[in-house]
Amino acid sequence: MNRDEVIGGTLIFLFGVITVYFSLQMPIGTFRAAGSGLFPLGLGIILMGLSAALLISSSVQFQPIKENTAAAGAARSTKKVVFFVAAIALATLLFKPLGYPLTAFLLLLALLRILGVRRWAFNLSLSFLTATGAYLLFVQWLQIPLPKGWIGL
Amino acid sequence: MFESLQHLIAGFGIALTVNNLFYCLMGAVIGTLIGVLPGLGPIAGIALLIPATYNLNAVSAIIMLAGIYYGAMYGGSTTSILLNVPGETASVITCIDGYQMAQKGRAGPALATCAIGSFIAGTIAILGLVFLAPPLAEAALAFGPAEYFSLMVFGFIVLCNVTGTSLIKSLMMSVVGLIIGTIGLDPVTGVARFTFDSMDLLGGVEFVAVAIGLFGIGEVLANVEKPLEFLEGKVLVPRLRELYPTLEDLKKSFRAILRGTAVGFGVGLVPGPAPVIATYSSYMIEKNLSKHPEEFGKGAIEGVAGPESANNSACQAAFIPLFVLGIPFAPPTAILLGAFLIHGVTPGPMLIGEHPELFWGVIASMYIGNFILLLLNLPFVPFFANILRIPKKVLLPLVILFCLTGMYTVNNSLVDIWIMLLFGGLGFLLRKLDYEGAPLLLALVLGPKLEVAFRQSLMISHGKFEIFLDRPISMAFLAATALFLLIPVFRVIKKSMRKGGSSRG
Repeated sequence: MNRDEVIGGTLIFLFGVITVYFSLQMPIGTFRAAGSGLFPLGLGIILMGLSAALLISSSVQFQPIKENTAAAGAARSTKKVVFFVAAIALATLLFKPLGYPLTAFLLLLALLRILGVRRWAFNLSLSFLTATGAYLLFVQWLQIPLPKGWIGL
Repeated sequence: MFESLQHLIAGFGIALTVNNLFYCLMGAVIGTLIGVLPGLGPIAGIALLIPATYNLNAVSAIIMLAGIYYGAMYGGSTTSILLNVPGETASVITCIDGYQMAQKGRAGPALATCAIGSFIAGTIAILGLVFLAPPLAEAALAFGPAEYFSLMVFGFIVLCNVTGTSLIKSLMMSVVGLIIGTIGLDPVTGVARFTFDSMDLLGGVEFVAVAIGLFGIGEVLANVEKPLEFLEGKVLVPRLRELYPTLEDLKKSFRAILRGTAVGFGVGLVPGPAPVIATYSSYMIEKNLSKHPEEFGKGAIEGVAGPESANNSACQAAFIPLFVLGIPFAPPTAILLGAFLIHGVTPGPMLIGEHPELFWGVIASMYIGNFILLLLNLPFVPFFANILRIPKKVLLPLVILFCLTGMYTVNNSLVDIWIMLLFGGLGFLLRKLDYEGAPLLLALVLGPKLEVAFRQSLMISHGKFEIFLDRPISMAFLAATALFLLIPVFRVIKKSMRKGGSSRG
């Protein structure tokens, strides 16, 4: 049994269950005059069926559990991905209060650092120049109404 | 036929205005850049640029967005040949012989053959579009909801059959996409579904957010996870001793280009990731027809000319179902459908009659765009190659900033950014678990249409499902769907029979 298949199949099966549950809270109607819940209800049931079939077929195939993740994991860094996503999420939270240019600068600074740009002088100047360029392009030239924040730019 | 030519000439009048020429050039340049840069494919590229077209009229907007699509197809070959890194999935096959040619100091002729082949293929495919689209649009007027429903089901099944490693997983992704497509107001009764009292979700999940999330952020995250050395970027000096191919090269390439064009056009008309299938099929055909198949994989120019022509031809042919039926068969054209709707134009059988300036203007612009790309790709190859020297650890944060900015400009909404991030995480997870994002995106865009067609059909038939089998066109699509569903079953039976035979022997 392949661990990835089980995780994926189970998560999607649960998504199907949730869809069915919430569809049943809506009017179902008849095939002639379908209610708003009928279509998603049908889709939820089909999804449950498909993911159950995947789970069954992957358990029948007797594939060895993938062991190569440890070797690959040495080279890869899921932690880096988590930090990367966290930085983007934080930037989204600060987008309105700090404004576009400042958020862009801080976001670039953080992302470059996470990706291994160690020299602060290079990191700071690249982030500053890019954020300034993006501000001039999007706000000044294209006149896109991006959040100004407390710096008012 | 004569009428089509007259319309096409009028289309050139529209496409050759200074304004539209500018947007055609912009689309071609941006598309080439997107194709060159690994990590940002045509789907995320078009989605990101949609907000930039809000202030344009529909014709200019579609000219630019279509230019990005076929421009990306041109650009994708550059990275394949110079770096052995496909800029987008349709250029994977080009890596095989293109990179080998570059290793032998023949990157110039390889790139030139790509550009010439793409130009010829694009031109022939556009002629096919000109002459096929109007009669097909007339035929499509006979389509009712039942036919549309069956056609869409057929499209999903074919797409699922040819994408990814597993039919069942692709089907699951399609259904997930259809479910996400039901979020928002019910298109028939107007009742809110799965909105959980959020006003932001009443209009449904923004498909641009899903596209950028799955194919932009998801791809960036997959790159972030790779080892540090990968992010450093390779500093490569492309050997461009001679840019132009020899007469011998052209002779070898000519037939491959024509065959690739025909294969690509045929594949482009049917559902699925047409350019990917077209390049693969063309490569196999060239290898089988070649007197020297042993040269394939070692730098055979036919292995570059055929697939690259097929790629562009398929890309242009894929516009036919979008224009004529209003049904995109692949994610990039699904994104273009979204752009059409944003600009108040509904593609379908009535498009040619109701918006002739758009239809013929866009087609003429494609021809001009192909010419621009031919001019652009040859002399500017060293420039595009230099872009590739930017290390990924610098490039990826820039892509993220561009995604965030682009996403916010769609509706000036932070909710869209959160949705984009959510789907970015999902896209990353799907890659890890070996699921394809393409069926999900296509289902999300087509979901509401599919549901309306399904419910209207049942209303017409008073709730009887026989309507889908009683109508001949609908039945033909469903029969074809059943056939496609049975193909994997036949494969399994054949495989087990072979196994059984060999174990007995």
